[in-house]
Amino acid sequence: MNMRALRIGMRRGWAEHTHLLRNRRELAGTLIGTVGFFALMLIWMGDRPVKGTDVSNATFMTAGFLAFTVFSNGLMTLPLSLVTDREEGALLRLRAIPGGIPAYLTGRAVTVLCQIALQSALLVATAVLVGGVAPPRDWLTLAWVLVLGTVAVVPLGAAIGCLLPSSKSGAGMVALPMMLLLIPSGVMFPVTAMPEAVQWVAQSFPLYWQGLGLRAALLPDSMLVAEIAGSWRLPYVAAVLGAWTVAGMLLAPGLIRRMTRRESGSRLAERQLAAQTA
Amino acid sequence: MSTAVSVRGLRMRYGAADVLRGVDLEIRRGEIFTLLGPNGAGKTTTIEILEGFRKRSAGEVSVLGTDPEKGGDDWRARLGIVLQNWRDHTRWGVRELVVHLSRFYDAPRDPDELVAAVGLTEQAGQQVGRLSGGQRRRLDVALGIIGRPELLFLDEPTTGFDPQARHEFHLLLTRLAADDGMTVVLTTHDLAEAEKLAHRTAILVGGRIAVCGTPGELAREVQAQSSVRWIEDGRERVLSTPDPSRAAWELHNRFDGPVPGLEIRRPSLEESYLELIGRAA
Repeated sequence: MNMRALRIGMRRGWAEHTHLLRNRRELAGTLIGTVGFFALMLIWMGDRPVKGTDVSNATFMTAGFLAFTVFSNGLMTLPLSLVTDREEGALLRLRAIPGGIPAYLTGRAVTVLCQIALQSALLVATAVLVGGVAPPRDWLTLAWVLVLGTVAVVPLGAAIGCLLPSSKSGAGMVALPMMLLLIPSGVMFPVTAMPEAVQWVAQSFPLYWQGLGLRAALLPDSMLVAEIAGSWRLPYVAAVLGAWTVAGMLLAPGLIRRMTRRESGSRLAERQLAAQTA
Repeated sequence: MSTAVSVRGLRMRYGAADVLRGVDLEIRRGEIFTLLGPNGAGKTTTIEILEGFRKRSAGEVSVLGTDPEKGGDDWRARLGIVLQNWRDHTRWGVRELVVHLSRFYDAPRDPDELVAAVGLTEQAGQQVGRLSGGQRRRLDVALGIIGRPELLFLDEPTTGFDPQARHEFHLLLTRLAADDGMTVVLTTHDLAEAEKLAHRTAILVGGRIAVCGTPGELAREVQAQSSVRWIEDGRERVLSTPDPSRAAWELHNRFDGPVPGLEIRRPSLEESYLELIGRAA
């Protein structure tokens, strides 16, 4: 990728982010859908301690919601944006422009980063103000886990987006597995409360490790009793998220090339006709 | 005049179906060229191969001196493409999008001048998603020519235009071809538009170029009938003939002088087209 495409892509990503902020429906979705729901959960059950510990549910949930924000933006919002852009012709338009596709992908990654940063800041602020959660005890760990987690899910999200047939069916195809993954991932309640087989499944996916890293940044060491192996295992967090990043990087470029190579005016017209008649 | 597009023996096969069966075509630099044909004739496939969006089965293709299958960013920067199905970037502002896409090129047109040239100055701050169909198409054309392309592909460019917008668009296109030397390849179902704009036209039938030339050459080629009208015994007479000059000469001899109300009308592109398609059916 040349520097011009990178520069334009970054500006594009920022522009897309500001469009989302200016869009009332999108903004309401972010504020009510994510932050509002989080605030309700804090009010409803935030005061209670996590079973067998002296740590409040509010603190535990903060780490879980942060992890899910990264995960949902990277693996749900990003793929669906990609499919929508394909259906509307944005990908084809950019394919017809020199350096358009690298700039587009950079832009999408930047938009996801901005969305994650904004939502994470809002979640932390809500946790402190509504849930009385203490500010993160380890800002550095919080920062690198958020960044590495984001880097891990962006190429994966792009790869998933390349495989989705349409935005209509894509939403269900992506949302259902994500919700199923959420339950055993340990981000909503301690993973050690689940059967060992489920724990192994949870540890195969980046969401668990993202959540573990964020819990390390937010929770006191007294919570280690609720963690597998009684440790934050930060080197493993880095290694697993790094491995998912590499897997995504290996997988995504080929799929993106394949998808963009197949884009043409007639395919776009066929798809739009199919959407109209469906 | 040098060549912008050269196609020799172009073939395209989808499974067992031959969509293109040896297309030969030459488009000169600076001309407005239309490609016509009934649905399924292979127009879209031909254009997509020229645009580098589709791989061919066989044949030689050169677009601005480069094989489209091997064209990189430098080659792509010399092309402009306007399709009819774009519904993208709806949240972007009109001027914002023009400025954004201009950044991809070394020497783009001035965004404000371009927005004015396509008659969208009043909508410059408006969201793309709020434009009418005609305004949207004009924006697409502006985005297609933002990088000063040497060759512009236009797919049904005036669909959804009102007559005034259509007229202004035709003037813009003619000016771009005349002043900037831009080559324009146009696909349209509007035969009147093709006749008005195009220097030359090719008609694709059954995966082959059936005829190619100026509207007059096309008419001669397909031997479409011209109509000769005159007044005789107080009544208007009409004769359809492939050779109107001979008919006029015979009338002149019969009247032994000027023929009252003589009017010769050559076949329109539409008549030539329908004649050709009718024969092929």
